[in-house]
Amino acid sequence: MIELTHGFKISTDKCRGRMQCMRACPTHAIRVKEGKARVIPELCIDCGSCLGVCPTEAISATTINFAELDKFKFKVAVASPALFSQFGMGDTPVQVGRALLDLGFDAVWEYAVDIELIDRAIMEALKKWPGPFPLISNSCPVVVRLIQVAYPSLVEQVIRLEAPRDIAGRELKKRYSRELGVRPEEIAAIYLTPCQAKTISILQPAEGAKSHLDGAVGISEIYNDLLFIMRRNAGKDAPPKPLSGVGEWFLWGAPEGEFPNLPREHYLPVQGLTDVMKVFDDVEKGKIRNIEFLECHACVGGCIGGNLTVENLYVARTKNLRMISGMAEPSADFRQEVERRSASEDFSLRGLLKPRNAGGDVTDLRERVTRRKRADELLKALPLLNCGLCGAPTCRSHAEDVAFSRADLKDCVFLSRDRIGFLRGIYGGNNPDGLDHQSRQRHGERGGRDDG
Amino acid sequence: MPAELMRESFEIQGGNFDKAGEISGEIKNILRDLGIQAASLRRVVVVAFEAEMNVVMYAARGTLTFVLTDDDVQLEVKDEGPGIPDLELAFQEGYSTASDEMREMGFGFGMGLPNMKKNADELRVETEVGKGTAVFARVRLNSHD
Repeated sequence: MIELTHGFKISTDKCRGRMQCMRACPTHAIRVKEGKARVIPELCIDCGSCLGVCPTEAISATTINFAELDKFKFKVAVASPALFSQFGMGDTPVQVGRALLDLGFDAVWEYAVDIELIDRAIMEALKKWPGPFPLISNSCPVVVRLIQVAYPSLVEQVIRLEAPRDIAGRELKKRYSRELGVRPEEIAAIYLTPCQAKTISILQPAEGAKSHLDGAVGISEIYNDLLFIMRRNAGKDAPPKPLSGVGEWFLWGAPEGEFPNLPREHYLPVQGLTDVMKVFDDVEKGKIRNIEFLECHACVGGCIGGNLTVENLYVARTKNLRMISGMAEPSADFRQEVERRSASEDFSLRGLLKPRNAGGDVTDLRERVTRRKRADELLKALPLLNCGLCGAPTCRSHAEDVAFSRADLKDCVFLSRDRIGFLRGIYGGNNPDGLDHQSRQRHGERGGRDDG
Repeated sequence: MPAELMRESFEIQGGNFDKAGEISGEIKNILRDLGIQAASLRRVVVVAFEAEMNVVMYAARGTLTFVLTDDDVQLEVKDEGPGIPDLELAFQEGYSTASDEMREMGFGFGMGLPNMKKNADELRVETEVGKGTAVFARVRLNSHD
């Protein structure tokens, strides 16, 4: 199996094995053994639920930092629409675009064109699709990975088109290498991302092809600098540098906005992993009828609710709605560019999306059945409290781990006297009657007992 | 006859629309965890769900038995319901005896049996008016695109 890369890393040094990440993970992909968290790669869908909950901040997104971009001759920002909703009501997308140039980007891509192109391509694909319905959007990498891991039968319903950010990367390299006379490899297409999941979709696209983007910078990483530049620029009317767009803005990034041209009764926007999973359950049963297209976002609020955004989701939403209501008619240049590229480009997905094999290396059905039955048997010995002290999030996952030979049944505190002693060795608390211990319990929420 | 690898039975509560679909969901999870090919999995889940819904809609109670062999998945759904007076009619798309109430809840489009027939490789229905209905469905593994 190809090794899976993920959009975040866990620092072993900072990890204190506090299990918050393990409990937050919707696909039960994290185990905490010997006091350190680790990920079962084939179960992780890069949703980022673990990122914000770590009390010792041991989990970080693998976005690239700004300094790493210096190796490229020409750096182009492809800004997620979510970026423009992060600033004040008076801050226009043009001002944000200008601040990006001042920050060090050589150009800001007119991403609205790519979004419009994919919007159209989706409409076309829907007309031609013979079924089964609904087709499912693939712009959220977490949704795509969730389907690969937990909804294998829906893989064929994921729309087979490139994400707009990727066709943006392809086109901008073509254009700037021509205009500047440099090789495409010397041009960096950098996505300004509202979540770490987009990073992983660049490092390792789910369908197996290579991304046209070179990396992603989290919005939260550049937010302070951008804000500072914008305040400094206030009132000034500097002309934009040559060769640079400033990024028109658009509807994407907010819920219920991806496909404004679809008839409402046949199109369903769904947000938040919990709700997305509920809807997928029903799609699998054939219960969702009359819906042709599902627009799914793992984050509540869509991309403006991403975990690398800064502004409160609802405030950002207000800003987003304000921008939508004030949106001008598309310019003639914009329409012309859409027509030109629409006629000459292919937007179909270059790879083939496949279900992920979460069963490890065992492929024989009989062996898998035996393993499952063994897990069912083992579960009977466990207390069903899901306390997590064995290092697995639920008793069920512990039983499965044992059946998969990746854990020892005796890691359960109910089955082994030694386990508590072992855990004390790792987590401290050797003096259960002492005041010292109690006070540490009370005050130790953030790092207070880390040296213990 | 291929060897039986797994067999599980589930009780279905008639009239409980709140829980309806949980059993077919459970079957789906089993098949997914076993790495059953997606196309076969999908067919089994659709058949199981329609069968489960029929029991929920029309019967007081029923059982769904799931059997996995090397070659196929077999579903056996038996209920203590009113039975089906005219089977031929029941297999016609759009024919339904669902009440308005059921339709308002989004059920009873007359697609149940036709949908099961479409998705199963074999489907057999035995029914007796006043006594109940038994449905036997078979979905082959590794032979669907």
